[in-house]
Amino acid sequence: MNSYKHTDIQQTDLFLQHQCSLVACGQGVKRGERVAISLLPGKGDIHSPVGGKVSYVDAYRITIVAENNDVVAPVNLDGLPGDDLKRKLLELGGDIPDADSVSTVIINGVDADTDVLTRQHMLTSSSGTLERGLAAITVLYTPRETVLATLPGIQLSLPEVLRSIISDQYPAGLDPMVVKAVTGKESPEDTVIIGLETVYHLGRIMETGLPVLDTILTVNGRGKTVPIGMPVGELLRLEGDHVLDQDRIVLGGVMRGTAAVMVSQGVDRTVSAVSIVRNPTPVAMDAACVGCGECVRRCPARLDPAMLTNYAEFGMYDKAAKEHVNACFECGLCGYFCIARRPMLQYIRLAKNELAVAQRQIEEVVTS
Amino acid sequence: MKQLTPLILTVSVPPHRHSGVTVRNRMFKLLLAMTPAAIMAVLFFGMPAARVMALSMATAVFTELICDKFMERDSDIHDLNAFVVGLSLAFLLPASAPWWLVVTGSAASIIVGKMMFGPLGGSPFCAPLVGWAICRISWPEFMDIDATMLSIDLSYPLARLQNFGLASVGNTDLFSLLLGKQLGGLGAVQILGVLLGGIYLVVRKHVHYLIPAGVILGVLLTSGLLCMVDPTNNASPLFHLLTGSTLFGAFFLATDMPSSPNREIPMLLFGLLAGVLIIIIRTYGIYPDGVPFAILLANLFTPIFDRIRPEPFGKR
Ligand code: SF4
Ligand code: SF4
Repeated sequence: MNSYKHTDIQQTDLFLQHQCSLVACGQGVKRGERVAISLLPGKGDIHSPVGGKVSYVDAYRITIVAENNDVVAPVNLDGLPGDDLKRKLLELGGDIPDADSVSTVIINGVDADTDVLTRQHMLTSSSGTLERGLAAITVLYTPRETVLATLPGIQLSLPEVLRSIISDQYPAGLDPMVVKAVTGKESPEDTVIIGLETVYHLGRIMETGLPVLDTILTVNGRGKTVPIGMPVGELLRLEGDHVLDQDRIVLGGVMRGTAAVMVSQGVDRTVSAVSIVRNPTPVAMDAACVGCGECVRRCPARLDPAMLTNYAEFGMYDKAAKEHVNACFECGLCGYFCIARRPMLQYIRLAKNELAVAQRQIEEVVTS
Repeated sequence: MKQLTPLILTVSVPPHRHSGVTVRNRMFKLLLAMTPAAIMAVLFFGMPAARVMALSMATAVFTELICDKFMERDSDIHDLNAFVVGLSLAFLLPASAPWWLVVTGSAASIIVGKMMFGPLGGSPFCAPLVGWAICRISWPEFMDIDATMLSIDLSYPLARLQNFGLASVGNTDLFSLLLGKQLGGLGAVQILGVLLGGIYLVVRKHVHYLIPAGVILGVLLTSGLLCMVDPTNNASPLFHLLTGSTLFGAFFLATDMPSSPNREIPMLLFGLLAGVLIIIIRTYGIYPDGVPFAILLANLFTPIFDRIRPEPFGKR
């Protein structure tokens, strides 16, 4: 089966990270009704994938049980000017990175992780939707040029975009690396990079006038259209895979993806792949750095991950900031090569998160 | 409605795959790379060499276990590092070393060179060299390779160079040096075996080629320069390269993980410095084989070399 329908969902758990729930327990919701708003600028809101009833809500999760087929009414988006369109699209679950005076928009059509082929599949299967998405992006950013970055050897028929060919060697397909490959500069100011799935989602909104309700992801080595909110366990079951006790369900590629916490967790629009990983032991251990230097030599951001993680481990986040922890683009290579098998990326994310929280608190104090 | 079976999922952080090279794996490869030289040592020096190697490794392992006990931490003995430290120290000792010297050296390597700095990775020095230095300074007469090996019909070319001048080593056959026909640290002088193991480590990327390359280059350049200035008193670069523990130091000691720099340029500079120091100590110092002290000195400069680093990605 190449696509699944929302009718395959009986119950779903929507996970909240930087969103605030809008619904209460027992409340009835329509399919496409907004259930949480994003707290981050440039990130779209979250909508119910089915018509039904909210059965559980807390700060991290909304559970919805499917009951009916009621759908919200489509919105007419034609001819809206840039700012209004942006507001509407964010409300409908589109992601629109914040940026002013953009001269180059780069669309990242490269699946960085070797076992993911979602973007590749979108390029070959959904050019109509992508065209609608690209048109919206042109209205939103009014860029001087739009460049589409892809792997070599992909045929496509998108007019009005320049092509740029990116190597399939990890981590060449990650956003900062692609920006550098296209512009020749590291983090140039007037450039914004957008993932192809975001273009696809915007295209779907423009086509239907409805919130983002489906996405494309890789499962079992093939690109599939899957309704957002589809429980990962259910998806794998329909695919004929049996999830066993102690398995890891990885959402995204193996280098950067997160592990699902429960089988009923619904896929969200950032998930590029769903797969089961069955390692006998967890990859990472609580171990001290042995100073081998592998991570230092492999880091594409030219950081010293050993130093960063040591600082993070002992709570010295200010030192980590001085070591440019925020320049890390979370490729995961340091953890992949660490011979002591330290949870490198976790430490780095911890430091980044603590620094961001501290920054927000400072801003709150300053503004109040 | 279909009930999803309650399952316990493993939740862990990315990456969800690992290169497979772990500390234990790397230490095992180091031991493997030392095997040819160890076998040659037994062939040349007989059982005494086997005795020193076994005793040194056993002491290292037991010392680490005892330290773990006292420090109340889970033992990492299974990572095989203690074996590597023990064997490296044995490689630097004469085959005739008395048992108490081996035990003291090996225990000191582990205690002072490793455990005092916490788990593996904390020490600023290459551990076996710490034990070696303590023994060399405390009991020079027993570490003195010429005196202890009077019973064997081989010569210690570096000591002869030091004591009797260039003429006494002038006819040293480089090929027999390669085959280990010289006195010195029992494993370090098995040049062919050391070279074999070293090349294996570099090819399989278990050590970065820049450090050994730096050491060898440093030795060749400095001794070549001295040779050009005063050819009557200084030995040839090749002589320095193939005698004593130059190559063992270059491939196995200077590349010690925590005590060497991590980036390319610092690694090369570190290697060069060690190489230059080897020749300086050999030529002007009182120690015939300058390698251990040269590498210990270079270790001191590691934090300074490590300051040479590129700007992070996208920093303006
Ligand atoms: S994840 Fe690690 S290797 Fe990748 S950019 Fe960040 S610090 Fe460097
Ligand atoms: S790869 Fe791991 S053990 Fe090696 S230097 Fe980096 S953090 Fe330390």
